[in-house]
Amino acid sequence: MATVQVSEAEKVYILHGIRDDLRVDGRGCEDYRHMEIETDVVSNTDGSAKVTLGHTVVLVGIKTEIGKPRPMLPDEGYLEFFVDCSANATPEFEGRGGEELGTELSNTLYKVFNNKHSVDLKSLCISAGEHCWVLYVDVLLLQCDGNLYDAISVAIKAALFNTKIPRVHISADEEGGKEIELSDDPYDCMRLNVENMPCIVTLCKVGHRHVVDATLQEKACSVASLIIAVTHKGTVTCARKVGGGSLDPESIFEMTEAGKRVGKALHAPLMKLLQQEESLGKTQQKVGFLG
Amino acid sequence: MKTQYCFKKRLRLYSLFIVVMLKSKTFVKKTRSGGVMKIVREHYLRDDIWCGSEVCTECKQESTVLQRDACIESSLCSYPHYLIPDTNVVLHQIDVLEDPVIRNVIILQTVLQEVRHRSAPVYKRLKDIVHEKEKHFYTFTNEHHRETFIEREPGESANDRNDRAIRMASKWYSQHLKTSETGADGLKVVLLTNDQGNKQKAEDNGLLVYKCEEYIKSLIANPELVDHLALSNDEKNEITSSKVLFPEHLPLSKIQAGIKSGSFLQGTFRASRDNYLEATVFVQGEGEDSTEVLLQGLQNLNRAVHQDVVAVQLLPRDQWVAPSSVVLQDEGAAKDDNAEEEDEEKETSFSVKPTGKVVGIIKRSWRPFCGMLNVAQIKESTRHLFTPADRRIPRIRIETRQAATLAGQRIMVAIDGWPKHSRYPNGHFVRSLGSAGEKDTEQEVLLLEHDVPHQAFSQAVLSFLPKMPWAITPEDMVRREDLRNLTVCSVDPPGCTDIDDALHCRELENGNLEVGVHIADVSHFIRPGNALDKEAANRGTTVYLCGKRIDMVPELLSSNLCSLRSNVERLAFSCIWEMNHKAEILKTRFTKSVINSKASLTYAEAQMRIDDTSMNDDITNSLRGLNKLAKILKKQRIEKGALTLSSLEVRFHIDSETHDPIDLQTKELMETNSMVEEFMLLANISVAQKIYDEFPDCAMLRKHPPPPPSNYDILLKAAKSKEVEIHTDSAKALADSLDVAKVDGFPYFNTLLRILATRCMMQAVYFCSGMDSDFHHYGLASPIYTHFTSPIRRYADIIVHRLLAVAIGADSTYPDLMDKHKQSALSNNLNYRHKMSQYAQRASVAFHTQLFFKSRGILNEEGFVLFVRKNAIIVLIPKFGLEGTVFFDTKDKAAPNLVFDEEVPSLKVEEHTFCIFDKVKVTISLDASNVQHQKIRMALIEPVIPGVSVPAPDVGPQAKKPKLDR
Repeated sequence: MATVQVSEAEKVYILHGIRDDLRVDGRGCEDYRHMEIETDVVSNTDGSAKVTLGHTVVLVGIKTEIGKPRPMLPDEGYLEFFVDCSANATPEFEGRGGEELGTELSNTLYKVFNNKHSVDLKSLCISAGEHCWVLYVDVLLLQCDGNLYDAISVAIKAALFNTKIPRVHISADEEGGKEIELSDDPYDCMRLNVENMPCIVTLCKVGHRHVVDATLQEKACSVASLIIAVTHKGTVTCARKVGGGSLDPESIFEMTEAGKRVGKALHAPLMKLLQQEESLGKTQQKVGFLG
Repeated sequence: MKTQYCFKKRLRLYSLFIVVMLKSKTFVKKTRSGGVMKIVREHYLRDDIWCGSEVCTECKQESTVLQRDACIESSLCSYPHYLIPDTNVVLHQIDVLEDPVIRNVIILQTVLQEVRHRSAPVYKRLKDIVHEKEKHFYTFTNEHHRETFIEREPGESANDRNDRAIRMASKWYSQHLKTSETGADGLKVVLLTNDQGNKQKAEDNGLLVYKCEEYIKSLIANPELVDHLALSNDEKNEITSSKVLFPEHLPLSKIQAGIKSGSFLQGTFRASRDNYLEATVFVQGEGEDSTEVLLQGLQNLNRAVHQDVVAVQLLPRDQWVAPSSVVLQDEGAAKDDNAEEEDEEKETSFSVKPTGKVVGIIKRSWRPFCGMLNVAQIKESTRHLFTPADRRIPRIRIETRQAATLAGQRIMVAIDGWPKHSRYPNGHFVRSLGSAGEKDTEQEVLLLEHDVPHQAFSQAVLSFLPKMPWAITPEDMVRREDLRNLTVCSVDPPGCTDIDDALHCRELENGNLEVGVHIADVSHFIRPGNALDKEAANRGTTVYLCGKRIDMVPELLSSNLCSLRSNVERLAFSCIWEMNHKAEILKTRFTKSVINSKASLTYAEAQMRIDDTSMNDDITNSLRGLNKLAKILKKQRIEKGALTLSSLEVRFHIDSETHDPIDLQTKELMETNSMVEEFMLLANISVAQKIYDEFPDCAMLRKHPPPPPSNYDILLKAAKSKEVEIHTDSAKALADSLDVAKVDGFPYFNTLLRILATRCMMQAVYFCSGMDSDFHHYGLASPIYTHFTSPIRRYADIIVHRLLAVAIGADSTYPDLMDKHKQSALSNNLNYRHKMSQYAQRASVAFHTQLFFKSRGILNEEGFVLFVRKNAIIVLIPKFGLEGTVFFDTKDKAAPNLVFDEEVPSLKVEEHTFCIFDKVKVTISLDASNVQHQKIRMALIEPVIPGVSVPAPDVGPQAKKPKLDR
């Protein structure tokens, strides 16, 4: 993970600020940095989104393909995650430097998103046991400035919201052989229901308090953090502790409560924003990567 | 799974005048493996696409296509106007668009693309029109124009989107021309569409729009254009009764599924020549096993036309039938609806064949058909039936007001469709070829019917010709060997203007002889892949008809730049041998060269020089040397077992004024013919060996397979009847036994025998060496052979030239040349064109023979029986090289007592027995009772058989033809 070196004096400064609910950049402990979301940024994907959170930039592209359902779940499609840590983000990622982080991130994403409570996997089934849609979720880290989990989860949710799966129907001939037929209208496509999809909120324990959306400096002062996935209703679907330090049960409880609160507050404006952008349709002004 | 994205920077090019805007076109495609892929193409919009009109002052175009005074006299549009046809109008009414009257037409890119998608032949015709300057057809790239590009909207089908794009472009044009109106010409654009919905929408948009029929009918000055109109759907309904005659065709998706599952078979539909209710479908199986499915009855034929690719379903085994042996011709227009006239004749079960029915059409191979009009009985009627010259094509119903003028003419008709409630397909008149029986007309017909491409070369093709005046450049000279000092000469038939070979022979200082064969370097002028090359590859061969030559390459090349005429410098590809006086090759080399032929001789002239002992110049000495070597070469070749076969070739003496044949004689062969031939064979064999050594996988070679032994049956039986034995174990044995086959007092016997032997042979074919393992040329007794010596008139030679040039490092290669599958496909086309050109040649000779006999009236000639059939003998008249059939059973006369013995073979007619080689006397006359199929008719005079033979009529030009029964 991208890290920065923080001197003792800086640490003290940050710690004291957080104790007084005033962070270095002027935020309170439960405030996010400025976030920008743009969907449909990569035209050759089926759905894509770019999220900028502070200086963290994440791009998510979704590719849909027809595959074979998993033998244990014949009537469900599934998601595959791949996180690519571009050396653009930090020189540490050069070569195979980002691989470990990438694997760690994708494992977490798999846990959070690939279950039927988050995504309606049944709707991805084309014909039970034979064909289903597989969504390849490719995450590209373009810049790292802390709080990757949250940014990625928001980007994935936005990208899945944006995903258009071509509509297919199965035609069977007399012999029982099945043929997949494709609608020739590019607008004839299926959308995913992303309502129940959780967002990840990472809470960093700094001193005796905890902050959301920690910058790299804050992260350097933190001993441990808790990653929790929260749905729009405030339900926690997944929690994970990362970092070397320990957390006492009481603070875990506190952090979970704070996470639920923040998560719930995050969902509402996100969905509103996404719907707003969708309604713009073709008139939407693209910002892209140079904007 | 890792997917990589290419993050392309959006390019925004701002230059002073051009603004390029980027859009992306997205569509989803199913991949072969069953997956689904999203494909995104970048689409650039620009604002420097000009309108192409002379009137326009706004567009910064360098040249304009559309005229200022675009006047077509129309009662609907009295103002000058440009036409914009939509896709369906182009697809169906291309015949109308081709008419010279229709000018100033805007072809939108949308239309062009759709046409290209739907029909390649129409696309090609459209492109040809666009290239024609006088037609003033302008292609407007509306899909890339910033103001006319539209994106497909949700819920819109691809067709609707294209219609909208067409309307958008029309709208743009009408506004654009209005604003840039300078001289107040009132120029307008008129959209032509047959789609009611599209028309309505266009009218709502305030566009000028007409139906194609409406517009064409409004052209006051040119009423004949109406006949070219293809019948559109709603018009068909009123023509025919609503009774459904045919089962519905299945949609393509179902057909494909059926073929996949094996319940249907895919094959080529071949109608029977003799019975219009019968056809076979040739199903190409894997490898060698291909089957034929028999179809019987109108319902089962289900509107398939000869050569269509169809899907057939086999009937249950108990419904299988045998092919009927009845000759049935579709005669009546009156008995239009009795479709139940299937012959119920069930034959014994041993000869039943797999029988099926057509369930759907996979690909129509409709082309315009030649034929004649059967004028309807009712005078005022505008609907007539058309009878194609090819009996395998059904009659076609067309609508015309010019029936009176068209009767008696050869016309072309295209099929538009065949609705399921119509007995005949519907079509429209394309053009008239001229009066039936006239020479030009008949020539056109036979070219069309033999699928010989004979249109004038298009502008695109001509643009690749070298610019005149042409001269050999110093660069050429550097890369080529300078052989201008050699005494090269050419020997050809008289009147030959496409001279593709020349020869030389000289003595070297070491006493050996140097012999060179110089072939026109056509591949220097025809570069791979350009329009000229494609056209030549398609034509495949030059077709020689009586009095006419249809060139494979434009005349500038064939008769000038490539023709190795005397006393001009020409580029050549030379094959040079060093030989000793025993004609043994010591060295062979190939080189590109520059030659200067010293003389173009005819065979007779060359012969004269050789024979005239007083002549002693370089040319004559060279010829003598060649002749001497050729004789040795020929001897060697014949010793190896090469066959000398015989076929009578006829030459017409054509009147120089009327171009009518005035006399005909069989071609004579001279020593010099064989001299040239010998060296050409040698060059071909040397080149074949070289290119095969260099490119074992992709050399274009020519093979002549040995005939199966059963082919020789007729020859053996015929020889046996004269107590002569023929051995057919090998080519050598055959050649030897033919040489000794002689019958006393019958000098013509040997020639007849050779003619029969020729008929036993197989066709020689081109093939790609990588696709075949048997290279042997049976007739020439050569293990390898190719065609190298006539690149002006055969495309195979051009390919061989290219291969050889690559082999000796004189030219660069290109991918298609090394692709054995493409080579193989090319050789298939060449074989087809070659076969068709031979048929066309024969048909042309046959037609000229008919003309000849027409002017001669009735002739009595002696002939020989060549074949004996069940009910006829086939007679050869050596004097004219003419073959004809004498029938013994005519339709309305009582047939004489016929006994056919297949073993001999012999035919006993009453008391007389005919065998092969019997001498007979016949009368020859022209049977013109069927204008479409005129033929030479023969009747027996001698031997006299009561009730069968006819009395010898007086021979004389004034002799009145007796009425022939038929």
